[in-house]
Order: sequence, then C-alpha cells, then structure tokens
Amino acid sequence: MTTGSDDAAVFTRLFDAHRDAVHAYFLGRVADHELARDLVQETFLRAWRRLSEVGPLPADRQRAWLFTVGRNLAIDSYRAGATRRATEASLRQAAAATRETAVPGPHLEAEYGERLAQLEDAIRELPEEQRVILSMATAGGLTSREIGEALGEPAGTVRYRLGQARKQLAAALDLKEDR
Amino acid sequence: MTSPARPDLDQLLAAWAEARRLPDADAERIRQAIVPADPTLSATWWSDFNARISATIARATTVPAPALAALP
Repeated sequence: MTTGSDDAAVFTRLFDAHRDAVHAYFLGRVADHELARDLVQETFLRAWRRLSEVGPLPADRQRAWLFTVGRNLAIDSYRAGATRRATEASLRQAAAATRETAVPGPHLEAEYGERLAQLEDAIRELPEEQRVILSMATAGGLTSREIGEALGEPAGTVRYRLGQARKQLAAALDLKEDR
Repeated sequence: MTSPARPDLDQLLAAWAEARRLPDADAERIRQAIVPADPTLSATWWSDFNARISATIARATTVPAPALAALP
C-alpha cells in the first residue's frame, strides 16, 4: 500500500535529482527566469500526476521522461509566441542586470563584474542550440552523454556544440580557449 | 569571494552558472505547489482499512483450537 506521504517522498527525490538539469534546460531555451520556473513547475507537475509510472524508473530514464515533457512544453510555449518575445526581452534584461549587480562591491571586483556582463552578452549571442547545451552543462551540471540523452542528440554532437560555444565565448571575451 | 584579476572562461562560466541556478527557496516553492501540503490518502485506503479491520475481527472472534478441544 502506498500512502500520500510515500508518494511525496518519491516525488521529492525525483524533484531534487533533476530540478537543476530541467531548470538549466529551460533557462537555455527561454532565458526568462519567471517563464523557466513556470515550465519547471509544469514539467514536474506532470511527473507528479504520472508518479506511479515515472517514480520507479532509474535516474537516466526519469531524466529522459522529464526532458521529453520539457521539450514539448518549450515547443508549445514557443509556438504560443510568448517565449520568443520573453527570451529576447529577458536576454537584454539579464545583461543589464548583470552589469548593475556586478559593480564593485563587497564581493565582486569591478573588472570581474564587467567580465561577467560581457559573458552574459556573449551567451545571448550564441545560437539557441549552443546556449541550451552550455546552460545544461554549466548550470545543470550534466555530462555531454547526459545532455545528448536528454536532447536526443549524439554525445559527440553535444561536445562539438559545446566546444563551438566555448570558442565563441572565448573570442568574444578575448580569452584563450585551449579545449 | 576572491577572484583573479583576469578570470579564465571556466571561472566566468562557473560564476554565471551560480548566478543563474534555481535558488533552493524557489525550488521548494515549486515543490510545495505540486505536492499537497497534507498528503492525500492512497486510492485504496478504504479497502485496505476494511481488510485490516476484518482480519482483526476474525482473529478476535476465532475460538482457539485448544479451547474448542476443551469444550464438553
């Protein structure tokens, strides 16, 4: 017999295991923080409703399930038109916000903050497919293989796009990129 | 936080990722919005409950074999 508290515990484990990866994916897709949070919530709400199906799966298949749902939600959202506009607006805001918060202060040096703002600008200029992979790798902490499984792409393609993204960022920031 | 005068790409990306990561408080709000605060009973709670009651009654009302044997 499963109880509501059992379900809550199973869901919490699933949520904690995958929330960063799912959020990083949406952050790369839509850039807007509010919209990304909404899409994370909708993805996991669907997982909650299908918990008896998703909960017992191994972690990699849970992730695959979540990203299948996530991709569809992102497509639906994009089709609705809101995502593209929100993305463009948010990317502009994010760059501005980074500049504002990265001024010299107790924790950030001026040059460091300026470099972060430049990075934000450079990430904004990346093609979406590279931005999503970069976000999943850095903010989501996923490996190329895990990203590939989540996006339905070969790991080699993921590594190539990640490498391209890094080269573009390094060039934009006038940094040496050895990888 | 100490940062080098000229951070490399990995350091900048790590700082960017940290700033963009879903805060724990936001994650908890999302989790709480999905999971009912007072977890609901399972769909089979009534039949499970009845089965346990029935089993308890059956045990309580069954006359033990030694007692039956002792009857005149």
